[in-house]
Amino acid sequence: MEKSQYDLCIEVLRRMDQAGVLKHVVLVGSWCTLFYRSYFAGKKYAPVLKTRDIDFFVPQPSKINVQIDLAELLKDLGFVVGFTGSQGYIRLEHPQLIVEFLVAEKGRPSDKPYPLPKLGVNAQPLRFLELLARDTITAKIENLSVTLPHPANFAIHKLLILQRRPKPEKAQKDRDAAVRILEALTVKGEQDSARKLFRSLPLRWQTRIQKAMQDVNNKDVLSIVQ
Amino acid sequence: MKVLKGVLREELGNSLRMKKSYERELARLPKGSLITKKIKGHQYHYLVLRERGKVRFLYKGKLSEQDVKKYKQVKEYRAKYRKLLSEVKKQIRFLRSTLRGKEPV
Repeated sequence: MEKSQYDLCIEVLRRMDQAGVLKHVVLVGSWCTLFYRSYFAGKKYAPVLKTRDIDFFVPQPSKINVQIDLAELLKDLGFVVGFTGSQGYIRLEHPQLIVEFLVAEKGRPSDKPYPLPKLGVNAQPLRFLELLARDTITAKIENLSVTLPHPANFAIHKLLILQRRPKPEKAQKDRDAAVRILEALTVKGEQDSARKLFRSLPLRWQTRIQKAMQDVNNKDVLSIVQ
Repeated sequence: MKVLKGVLREELGNSLRMKKSYERELARLPKGSLITKKIKGHQYHYLVLRERGKVRFLYKGKLSEQDVKKYKQVKEYRAKYRKLLSEVKKQIRFLRSTLRGKEPV
């Protein structure tokens, strides 16, 4: 099952690349932790438990300059259009993979889906997402160039949002993912990138992150957010 | 353990939603399967479908290649969606039984 899920993910990425969309989106969510393996190659790093949903962050204003129907593009793979939430966020669903799109929420909180007419879907606006696109890396996955948030940004973002999670187990999952990545960054000698990012954040955000790290024992990791 | 259970619960919710999506898509597809009969050297198309337990042949006459292709595609999608729906149902059974743990069935 795992193998076919990975293959399907690669096929989705390949089609998005051929359609000229992949270079304009940032892959976020738990799938990143899998693709960070190449970034941490040779270092002690194990990806966290990931779910089926693969999230793409679309920075606004979007640079996507082609008009495509994503649902049609993935239809022959067995993807169907699904709707979630009271407002109807569109997800492209397959038993092995769920493709979702996200945009950064600005201004007043709103449940309304953000339309992405160039892709024929809509996106869910979420807070703090712009942090993920501030520093990015490009991972080579099966000859495809996929933009991922820098691991430091990914970890700091997870720590920032975990207190907003209504479910405690999700918050725990976020914390585990963040700590694991910060540990790997420390082993790689790149803890300064995370420290620099942390110090660049508003004080309120810093306090929130420090609070999220209260139960962490690793002193090297803790020193990043001091 | 809590994290794992949380992930499984989330995936169960996803699978339940997905089941509805596949059922909706299957219901949307036009019913029946196109067959071709050769009568006195001419090809005629019929749509075969079941209505109230009875098999019916609906005469479609001569169809363009494009129409035939469309029916063929519908048939392929129906087979694909049925297969994927069955996969989703298996996932739901698995996730429910895993989450139930040692509780009585």
